[in-house]
Amino acid sequence: MSVTTPGLVLDVTETAPETAAEQRGRLADSAALYRRWERQQWAVAQVDPARDAATWESLTPFSREQMLGSLGELEVGEVTVTHTLGALIDAPPTEDDRIFLCTQLADEARHVRFFQTYLEDACRTGLDAVEEGADYSEVFTPVLTRATDAVRQNPEDRESWYRALVYYHLITEGVLAATALRTTRFLARRLKLEALEEGLTNVTRDESRHVSYGLRAAQDGVAGGFAQVVEDAHFESLGAAAWVLIGPSRHNPVPALHAALLSRAAQIRGSVEIARERLAKQLRLVGLPHVAEKAVASWDLAVETALDAYAERWNAPHPIRAAAA
Amino acid sequence: MDNGTSRAQVRRIVGEMSPLGAREANSGDRLVEDLGYDSLAVIELSLRIEQEFTLADLGTGPTADITTVQDIEDFVVQQQAAPSDAA
Repeated sequence: MSVTTPGLVLDVTETAPETAAEQRGRLADSAALYRRWERQQWAVAQVDPARDAATWESLTPFSREQMLGSLGELEVGEVTVTHTLGALIDAPPTEDDRIFLCTQLADEARHVRFFQTYLEDACRTGLDAVEEGADYSEVFTPVLTRATDAVRQNPEDRESWYRALVYYHLITEGVLAATALRTTRFLARRLKLEALEEGLTNVTRDESRHVSYGLRAAQDGVAGGFAQVVEDAHFESLGAAAWVLIGPSRHNPVPALHAALLSRAAQIRGSVEIARERLAKQLRLVGLPHVAEKAVASWDLAVETALDAYAERWNAPHPIRAAAA
Repeated sequence: MDNGTSRAQVRRIVGEMSPLGAREANSGDRLVEDLGYDSLAVIELSLRIEQEFTLADLGTGPTADITTVQDIEDFVVQQQAAPSDAA
């Protein structure tokens, strides 16, 4: 049983289905997800990001830097998915899928507006500063853009559609965004950034619908003869996802106090573990349980590669490795 | 900076950054149980101590095990002494 904040609807990867039949029953279809969307509306103006400005000012430089890094990655990710979702809307398997994906596009636009408003009104930060050097835009945006461009070029090619679906709904949203939202929401609560916590809870609820859609669509794809492309798309993209989570380009100094080093390492390792667990659960849910173990092994290897790149870039171990030494 | 001054400064910083609110910290106080430090607060404290005492990058060096304020005082004093020991 997972712990959550009141009013937050978990996606199916955060509960524990027992049987194959139960798994199938838990995956809502696009018509049901559309109805859920109608019930779960929210507005950026109601969240009122400016009310966090005073608390933000009082944060330590470390907390501000951490939070800005996370918000920057989330904002960049939301901009990218807003730009690329159109390709999936143009060529979906069913009309119900198209209608759901249109609601998702409205959600993504609202998320962009939320993060940008928060950065400007609460953090008083220019967008260029947080967007520059974000690992998602450097590493994953090109991968996702190539996948969705292939759908635009050949809308009849169902394999391209399922590949883009995995990159978009299951890796970007199911693994990366879900992990980042969970850890950032925890930090927002700890730092008493109330508007941010409320906004992130709303964003998480939306993302839960999107991931649920992705899982159901991928499950249908696996059952309908596209199992290989769904499997391949996971293995093609998980390395870039692990790279984004470790972020070798971000300096992560080793704290002098051992307790601080252990805390820092546990914080980052926690994110990596959440992502790893979600990856395996998603594969089981879409009907590819036999590749979950192999995917986890590939994920672990990709994390080690990113940690090697960090050590080479900064000539010092990443806190995860320093803590393990 | 002599050892006594360094130790007093450590106590001042630890007390000032306590998540329970700024307070006087004593050498025997335990960071977690007595002063309310959690994982994030310990990281912030470590960074502040490194900055205040201009400690060298410890990326490949030893890090200090701490439970009490005294442990931090000892660590800072040892680190400050390290360059002259090496000379």
